Amino acid sequence: MATKPANGVIQQARNEGRTILSEVDAKELLASAGIPVVEAKLAATADEAVTLADGVGYPVALKIVSAQITHKSDVGGVILNVPDATGVRTAFEEIMAAGKNADPSATIDGVSVQRMAEPGIEIITGMTMDAQFGPVLMFGLGGVLVEVLKDVAFRVVPIEPKDAKQMIREIQGYPVLEGIRGQEPADVEALESLLVQLSAFIEANPEIAELDLNPVFASQTGAVAVDARIVLAEQE
Amino acid sequence: MSELKANLARALSPKTVVVVGDKRMNGYMWLRNMQPFSGAIYSVQVDPNEIPGIEEMGVTNYTSLADVPGDIDYVLCAVPRQISPRIIADCAAKGVAGVALFTSGFAETGEEEGAQLQAQIGEIAREASMALIGPNCMGVYNAKLGIRQSGEQPTGEAGPVGFISQSGTHAINFSLTGAAQGVRISTSISMGNAEVLDVADYVDYLTDDPDTEVIAMYVEGTKDGRRLLQSLKRATARKPVVVWKGGVTEGGTRATQSHTASLTSSMAVWDAVLKQAGAIETLSMDDTIDVLKALLFCKPAKGRRMGLMAMTGGQSVVITDAFERAGQVVPRLTDGSYAKLAEFFNIIGGSYQNPLDMGGTIGFGGQHDHLQKLLDILDEDSNVDAFAMELASGFMARRWQADPSSLDTMLDLLVKHRERSEKPFVLTLHPGHVEEVTAQARAKVVERGLPVFHSFERAARSLALATDYWLRDT
Repeated sequence: MATKPANGVIQQARNEGRTILSEVDAKELLASAGIPVVEAKLAATADEAVTLADGVGYPVALKIVSAQITHKSDVGGVILNVPDATGVRTAFEEIMAAGKNADPSATIDGVSVQRMAEPGIEIITGMTMDAQFGPVLMFGLGGVLVEVLKDVAFRVVPIEPKDAKQMIREIQGYPVLEGIRGQEPADVEALESLLVQLSAFIEANPEIAELDLNPVFASQTGAVAVDARIVLAEQE
Repeated sequence: MSELKANLARALSPKTVVVVGDKRMNGYMWLRNMQPFSGAIYSVQVDPNEIPGIEEMGVTNYTSLADVPGDIDYVLCAVPRQISPRIIADCAAKGVAGVALFTSGFAETGEEEGAQLQAQIGEIAREASMALIGPNCMGVYNAKLGIRQSGEQPTGEAGPVGFISQSGTHAINFSLTGAAQGVRISTSISMGNAEVLDVADYVDYLTDDPDTEVIAMYVEGTKDGRRLLQSLKRATARKPVVVWKGGVTEGGTRATQSHTASLTSSMAVWDAVLKQAGAIETLSMDDTIDVLKALLFCKPAKGRRMGLMAMTGGQSVVITDAFERAGQVVPRLTDGSYAKLAEFFNIIGGSYQNPLDMGGTIGFGGQHDHLQKLLDILDEDSNVDAFAMELASGFMARRWQADPSSLDTMLDLLVKHRERSEKPFVLTLHPGHVEEVTAQARAKVVERGLPVFHSFERAARSLALATDYWLRDT
């Protein structure tokens, strides 16, 4: 349950020879920069998991934390909507067992515990490194169709508030964010400031090579990253 | 200003020019290109077989750059690649401000020797803060001073367009095709392999150049994208920038696992950069020239609502589709306009809802008082921000051929209208079935400084892109 200082997250990964940050570490890093995330905390035991779940409030989501297991849901390492303490104990044991079963050699740090996010419109945002322009920020509607439709907008980091405004309005799916067919609109201003904050975060952390916030849930009351993934640059 | 920037400025506005290595085999191309130059021009050539031909042109030849009298601002170097490091070193020793290296066979070959030679000349130039343009380029075109990349380029007054091109062919074709349509160059730089100076350096120069009102460029890639973005932003705050992006880089792609990376293509990033910079992105040379015509020959539009003037019903439909597809709007006119139109508009075979299907009303170009009234009505109509008119080559070309003055009179009327009106006004003239006649007609329109496009679609797209720029802060 110990929290590492934000800058320690990257250092620790470096010390351990890792370039991929765990969801827990990635979110900690993002949260320390003021980027809204559904905070995830690591529980090494079922007791710790229950204490954390009691703290954030039910229902909760539990996810496996292991440097070797990157596709968490594929191995049965994710259980959502856990309603109470009893459920948390069962889910904890199930996830640990599933992880060991999937990869007996994997080091499993435990299970991350987070509250279930309020549902919203699914957004994907992130950063990739371009050979000519350096870090490039992406924004689009998330969900299963994103890879087919490629309805995404890009800007080179650093961006200004004007750029965030434009990129959100540039995607074909923008009317979805304004609310269609009685659906509630998303808090577009919250998305704009998320993008500007993310740009500043990327500027401040040049060691980051890739970043995905996928999904971000955008609702009427704000925008919050539900899952996060950060990859550090290989060291020369 | 850094020494390199100061040297570039000298090289692009030279007082003394030297051509190194010009040859009979090329028809002494470079010395001929510089013939209109008003300043001092010298040749450096060691080959005794070449020197008489050079001297016959009235140019003083030296066998060493060191012997050339006075300061040298611009050297055009056309020696074989193995000799080029020595000549570049001579230039550095002489304190030459800038050298354009026509010679090719460097990094663009993809082979080791070429890359090494390029690195070598780059190092010599950087060491001396000398403005090395290229290698593998056609150098500089300064219309006012008579420095050229091709003997066909017009000289005299500076035009308003600064041009940067990664390709020598595009630099020359753009200047010639553009000039034929009234789009003239201030300074054009063929930047070739961009060993020392990159796109951003030339953008910076043209941003500060008082003769350049609009910057346009053909660009394939850059070594420093972030610096280019900063330079483009600085430029667009002062003048419009039009970017014709060619090619997609392979270096930008690499295998990654993240969604963001898999959704990012190099072209998508360029699109984003140009939007972020507030530049206008074009798709071809013609597209670039078209947008420049709208930017240069139209007063800025305050909106997207079009008044359209066509000769027939069929064209009225198609011109409307073209403008609406391009993102412009074709609204109803005001009731006041309709009342005025009802007084004289010939509705037998015509209509005036907008578009004005006006062939019968203006006697197919013969009834100038009616044409004048239509222009005035659209100009005063508060629902109209800009207007477009068809010069109907399909059935007018033979009449213009038979009676050239009929076209002249109409065009003079349009020029007067354009001077009075604050709204953008564009013309379309399709090449049609008698291109030699429409070509003459087009030349007459261009001569008068009116923006004329080859099709409704091209007029619509260009005006829409220019309008994006005019309305960028709204």
